[in-house]
Amino acid sequence: MKPNVAVLFGFGINCDHETKAVFELVGATAERIHVNRFIDGDAELEAYDILAVPGGFSFGDHLGSGRLMGNRMRYAMRDALQNFVQAGKPIIGICNGFQVLVKTGLLPGPEAGTAPDFIQRGSLSLNDSGRYEDRWVTLEFDPDSPCVWTKGMTRMECPVRHGEGKYIMPTSEELDRLDANHQLTVRYVDPNTVPGEGRTDQQLPYPLSPNGSMRNIAGICDSTGLVFGLMPHPEAIYAQWLHPHHTRDGAQTHGLGAMDGWEGEGLQLFRNAVEHVRSNR
Amino acid sequence: MKDVRGDVVRRQLAADHNVHVSEVRSIYGFLVNGETTAEPIAQRVDDLFADPIIEHGAVNTILLATEMFSGTPDTVITVGFKPGVTDNPGKAAKDGFTTLFPDDKNATVATYQTYAFYGLPDEIDSQWLAGTLHNTLIERALVADKSACSHQAWPELDYPTPPEQIFISPQPMNLECDDATLEEISVNGLLALNLEEMQTIQTHYRDEGVRASRNAVGIVADAPTDVELECLAQTWSEHCKHKIFASKIHHVDHETGEDTVIDSLFKTHIMTPTHDMQNDVDWLLSVFHDNSGVIAWDDTWSVCMKAETHNSPSALDPYGGAMTGIVGVNRDIMGTGLGARPIANTDVFCFGPPDWEGDLPENLFHPSRVLRGVHAGVRVGGNESGIPTVNGAIVFDDRYIGKPLVYCGTVGLMPRTLPDGRPSHIKTPVSGDVVYMVGGRVGYDGIHGATFSSLELTEESPSSAVQIGDPITQKKMLDMLLEARDEGLITCITDNGAGGLSSSIGEMAEYTNGCEIDLAQVPLKQAGLSPWEILVSESQERMTVAVKPEDQATFEALANLHEVEATAVATFTSTGMFHVRYDETTVAYLPIEFLHDGVPQLQLESEWTPPALAPFHPPSEADHSTLLIDMLQRPNIASKETWVRQYDHEVIAQTAIKPFVGVKRDGPGDAGVIAPIHGDPHGLVISCGIAPRYSDIDAGAMAAAAIDEAVRNAVCVGLDVDKMAGLDNFCWPDPIESVKTPDGRFKLAQLVRANRELERVCRAYRLPCVSGKDSMKNDYGSGPDKISIPPTLLFSLFGDQPDVRFSATSDFKRAGDRIYLVGTSKQELGASEISYMLKEQGQANGIGGNVPQLPNPKANLDTYRQLSKTIHQGLVKTAHDCSEGGVAIALAEMCIGGRVGADVDIDGTGDGDVWARLWGESLGRIIVAVPQEHEAAFLALMKGHPTTVLGTVTASSKLVITDGEDALLTTDVEGMADAWKGTLDMTGGVA
Repeated sequence: MKPNVAVLFGFGINCDHETKAVFELVGATAERIHVNRFIDGDAELEAYDILAVPGGFSFGDHLGSGRLMGNRMRYAMRDALQNFVQAGKPIIGICNGFQVLVKTGLLPGPEAGTAPDFIQRGSLSLNDSGRYEDRWVTLEFDPDSPCVWTKGMTRMECPVRHGEGKYIMPTSEELDRLDANHQLTVRYVDPNTVPGEGRTDQQLPYPLSPNGSMRNIAGICDSTGLVFGLMPHPEAIYAQWLHPHHTRDGAQTHGLGAMDGWEGEGLQLFRNAVEHVRSNR
Repeated sequence: MKDVRGDVVRRQLAADHNVHVSEVRSIYGFLVNGETTAEPIAQRVDDLFADPIIEHGAVNTILLATEMFSGTPDTVITVGFKPGVTDNPGKAAKDGFTTLFPDDKNATVATYQTYAFYGLPDEIDSQWLAGTLHNTLIERALVADKSACSHQAWPELDYPTPPEQIFISPQPMNLECDDATLEEISVNGLLALNLEEMQTIQTHYRDEGVRASRNAVGIVADAPTDVELECLAQTWSEHCKHKIFASKIHHVDHETGEDTVIDSLFKTHIMTPTHDMQNDVDWLLSVFHDNSGVIAWDDTWSVCMKAETHNSPSALDPYGGAMTGIVGVNRDIMGTGLGARPIANTDVFCFGPPDWEGDLPENLFHPSRVLRGVHAGVRVGGNESGIPTVNGAIVFDDRYIGKPLVYCGTVGLMPRTLPDGRPSHIKTPVSGDVVYMVGGRVGYDGIHGATFSSLELTEESPSSAVQIGDPITQKKMLDMLLEARDEGLITCITDNGAGGLSSSIGEMAEYTNGCEIDLAQVPLKQAGLSPWEILVSESQERMTVAVKPEDQATFEALANLHEVEATAVATFTSTGMFHVRYDETTVAYLPIEFLHDGVPQLQLESEWTPPALAPFHPPSEADHSTLLIDMLQRPNIASKETWVRQYDHEVIAQTAIKPFVGVKRDGPGDAGVIAPIHGDPHGLVISCGIAPRYSDIDAGAMAAAAIDEAVRNAVCVGLDVDKMAGLDNFCWPDPIESVKTPDGRFKLAQLVRANRELERVCRAYRLPCVSGKDSMKNDYGSGPDKISIPPTLLFSLFGDQPDVRFSATSDFKRAGDRIYLVGTSKQELGASEISYMLKEQGQANGIGGNVPQLPNPKANLDTYRQLSKTIHQGLVKTAHDCSEGGVAIALAEMCIGGRVGADVDIDGTGDGDVWARLWGESLGRIIVAVPQEHEAAFLALMKGHPTTVLGTVTASSKLVITDGEDALLTTDVEGMADAWKGTLDMTGGVA
């Protein structure tokens, strides 16, 4: 049976259609589910294998991005979310979804071996530029990260589309702790570095780091590697024709299938989670 | 921790006013009006109002007096909304507050922002500073100047309680009076009805049959109620009825001696050609009569598009006006057929020069402030709605200081057939269906928008005509309505825009020939609104939806799930009457036919004499390298990247050609291409064309140029020219001759000429106009100080792109690629960008002369079709349209995109002189680059079409242009990029 993905929507989430589509492209069944259906008990989170919190502007980002959606989930879905993680099921938050997971405290979460405690430990603040921007960035993944979503991935180009993406923690010790556990899963890097050697704690200049994140952090995972969130949009490069350079270096041959030779780098991330669910059955 | 919100204020002061402040700190404030006491709120402040990691929160404490703010600021300014103005953060805060304190159900929250300025130059007046931070029409500000700050007299705003509204029962409006009084009633009531229209209404109420039927329902028999008069004024407004486009025009042409009568420009030049084309193709599903035009895109999906303007509101409040513009046109798409899903936005703006240093008329904002506000409005409106902005333009001219133009367009997608088998583009209401108002509530905001926009802008323009959109309320409604559509619950749907419920229900009632509305059912933002206000208020984020009685419970449950308000307010009937009650009292009783078809046709005079303009003669000596840098810096040519990057242009994961292209993703995109079905590379092109300055010579040429530009841009990315549709959006100065408009005949003649060219070119291009709009009062003031915009047609295009993997972009790809000019350069420098620049620089006397013309559009179309083929076959990956600044600017932009050089010879590209071939803006021209291995195949396909080799892409990083043996210019690529990207940056730095 295909892994079953719950893609949240409602209240201003707006990347739900493409998030559903990319899971389907890698062989899952995906369903857009209004968050109130979980809150009202009309749908059960445990019926799903993967939870995706897509990008968007939940509640208009007023009172801080992800805050109000995070509160709804923290108050009304606390047990369901805790059980979901403890059952070993992957969760992803992209952009606004990442902000939601950080504000709920699911990311970065408590130390290893502790169940989610819903305490906020980090935050995402206004970009240093003060502007919402849509621009492409280069990302590099920590090869030793426990993150189930990023296995085998080295480097990827995809867009960021946010105004509040600057990842912040109160102390460098907390960042050190996450780094030691390889939870600083994905960082903004200079595309001119050698792939695999781009990650650095040294603050990169704008626009290489689009927001001024501490240690160029683009995304983090929890200690289990199941819960993962990032500001950039991997689903936005599910096909190479979405890459801004495809008229420069897109595949010259076109196979019978639309995606032949044209699969985008972002798809692997979703495939990893679907494969993880399959292999754990 | 960095205070970015404050720092943005600091940077903008530097960028816009050259005022340098050491530091600006900010406070985000919330005023809670409820029963919960301070103590429990204080315990939860970090759960809701402040972020525990990055912010400091406190309750009932002046933060300025705490250790958070060390040192005394020079000025403190607090800004909040005026009572009754939409406060979206406040609304969200209320929602969050209810999550934490569910018992305090009636609590409301308002927000404010406080800025503390440190190191403020002494000469800066704090009231002036406050003026830069708020718009007095919708916001209030409190200021603590240096002295107040030193006494710790901090500004504190109180909760903005709206003034009480007094309910006034419907009043009879006595129209048995003389003509002067009739006109006075119209003027005083902001009805915008002329004498003949007032007389038509007067006559209606003298009819014995009418009186008898009114007696039967217990409404005043021999006079309209205020509800009826307001309803007629809205429905008959220029904004809703397009009376000028529908008028009978006596047209005289002194150039040709023509003397003729045109019965409706719209029917003659727009509708008839499109209907003729509809006979020839099977993909034009719905044109003109719905909220947007619908075409079949493939067997499963259809697409629709609509563009609107929101000029008057944007002049008064650039932010709110523009935001309601974009979310408003989104609703047109939601209201098309049985509901389409908005999937792409376009934004085209016309502003005064951002660096304007001249005088500003009373009550007008500086163009840079208009730009910032309008941009922020469409940015928030589009981004928060999750709709990518894929195409647009920004045009500058002094005359747009008087009235900015804000065009907002939206593309929609819908399944051709719904799960229940009904075609989605056809509405299916029947008598007995229940009509719901869905989404926002009705308030005092937005009363008289339609009639107001049909009047010229004056100092007394009403603030109630200005609103701020609420994208999240609308997004929730959209999510809900699309589910309702797919469940087959909707029989009819339309948006509430101009004219409010009177227009939306009134128009839908034409389907069944009648309706009965109960205004007492309509949910209000605040109690006390009078019946006429409820009927005509244009409060935002509302759709009107008809549902079968048996589906009501399901529909309401769905609304409940999405936390969307949906209230049954009316029923469709077949009585022939627009019947409005307030509870049991009938307050309006108008025949549907009179309401919609009763407005008398205007009779207008048009007279064309070509304007006498000093011709453009370029200087005999010129340094074209310097001119190129100067031209790249012109606001009309300069990169708009700072602004456009702030739009999400790729949400939905479908945007295959983005607004910026090339190695560094900063070259210009010619058109947007989306592949909206995930996993399928079938594409849709969205492009636009606009050339307002050509109107200075001939508005007909202006229209032709706009259409050709839209098509050229789309061809550059691989449009299938045999499946394209267009939208015509006319923005004109008042073309009705009057004391206030003595040159009305000329302005109307410009409109006639534009329409005639629109028809001629669209017929030749087989390009049906499927939807459009006009805005006809784009003037400011009267008398000698009157400012009229240049007549402006925005032509938007959407069309088929068979496979986005075979498309092209403007950036040069690699050294060695061969460069060709497709098309011919003619001696057409009139009203060109170079002519305006040289005139402004004192190097030329005028801008007159030959304006670009389109003598043989059929030949252009054939050439475009061939060029598209070369793109579809993968031979050409580089194509760029030649428009403002001609061949020189197009080549410069292509070099910037590729960060490469080019060696180009413009000899042989046409009969014009070197100025015409280098800077001229002749239509029909596209520059392409072809890899050498594809050159022969490319030339074979282009055989018989004007195609001239220009040169070669080089690795030299220099653009070198010669005319035969004469060197014209040599310019470094990075220098060009800096020049092109600098002018409109306006950020004051990144950090």
